[in-house]
Amino acid sequence: MAEASLPGAARRFRYGILDDNPVYRQLLGMCPTLAVTASLGGAVTMAGATAFVLVMANIVVALLRNRLKGHLRILVFTLTIAAFVTVVDRFLAAYMFDMSRKLGKYVPLIIVNCIIICRCEVCASRQPLHVAIADAFGQAFGFLFGLISIAVVREFLATGGLLGWRLPGWVGWTVMKGPAGAFITLGVLIGLVNWLSRRKRR
Amino acid sequence: MGVVTDILFIALATALINNLVLTYFLGICPFLGVSRRIDTAFGMGCAVTFVITMSGTVTWLISHFALVKGSPLVEAINRLAGAQVPDLLFLQYIIFIFVIAGMVQLVEMYVRRFAPALYRALGVYLPLITTNCAILFVCLTIAREARLTESFLAALVYSFFAGIGFTLAIVLMAGIREQLETADVPAPLRGPAITLITAGLMALAFMGFKGMAG
Repeated sequence: MAEASLPGAARRFRYGILDDNPVYRQLLGMCPTLAVTASLGGAVTMAGATAFVLVMANIVVALLRNRLKGHLRILVFTLTIAAFVTVVDRFLAAYMFDMSRKLGKYVPLIIVNCIIICRCEVCASRQPLHVAIADAFGQAFGFLFGLISIAVVREFLATGGLLGWRLPGWVGWTVMKGPAGAFITLGVLIGLVNWLSRRKRR
Repeated sequence: MGVVTDILFIALATALINNLVLTYFLGICPFLGVSRRIDTAFGMGCAVTFVITMSGTVTWLISHFALVKGSPLVEAINRLAGAQVPDLLFLQYIIFIFVIAGMVQLVEMYVRRFAPALYRALGVYLPLITTNCAILFVCLTIAREARLTESFLAALVYSFFAGIGFTLAIVLMAGIREQLETADVPAPLRGPAITLITAGLMALAFMGFKGMAG
């Protein structure tokens, strides 16, 4: 048991980034993954907002975990998440207005991001506080890397460059900006990750 | 434009041109998770359509009478407390998600009682309709777009056809996936990867409807 040698918190942090990556392994939070990855800036802001809500919700749920019982717990999770999303939404509207306009309804939709509710249910409602926080950070970084990888491919193919820098003479693939490009990029990247992990296992 | 043309336009635009799944990436989890068989996909589509229509109309009523500027509840608070509360929109997200969770509970009880086979086939995806982003998205759109906030009928038609659009996408996908089962897909692409690529090609096809909006 190699896993047992690592303390719980550190193991959960590492698992969130690699073995249990929310985007490539668990296939959770697909809607924002596809919707905000047309550009790198949007993807990073979205991952940051999600990370804040994920960490805060995990902290609250871990503190309340001994009082949560039965059917009502999902409702408590959802309402906790909704409260923190309201905070993020107001914050973005106040300090990053352009980005808030660009992300639009996908900010409130963090409420129904399955990564957060899944971590509350699987980890935070059963583990002590420090483990829950480490788990939340691991998942948040995993989500960030997932979004960045998709956004880099899409932005590069659509505009021929990244963050304002442009490859001269590249004709942008408009389709990569749209929904079709998002679906196909994610499909191909998941296939690639599967292929790589198969090779590694051999 | 007359009322009928208005309604027809909203219906067509929502179900085909701005299809929730294929242009806004909403409801991807059930779209990938329960699109293996046509009949299950159709059951899921009906459940989602019901929840979307009910939640859309109920949240319209709540917004109209209790949350927005000048609504009866806000006016009453201002009169009683003598305070200046502009609106209660900061409560919007919490109330919306509450309504959606309630509607899903209703559907769950109904399906378990009257369609036990479908209940088993849908499994965990039935309670997960609460976290189907399509539904919250529809409620938020209804609360934010002027042509929908002003007319109850428009909101009703919009939410119903949003559900129809979801059903259409998931049933089409299930049809394709039933055929895919016999296809020789390269091993790393099997499962979600090939489903996403298929969805990409469907999205490409649905882009053709954009021309209809003119």
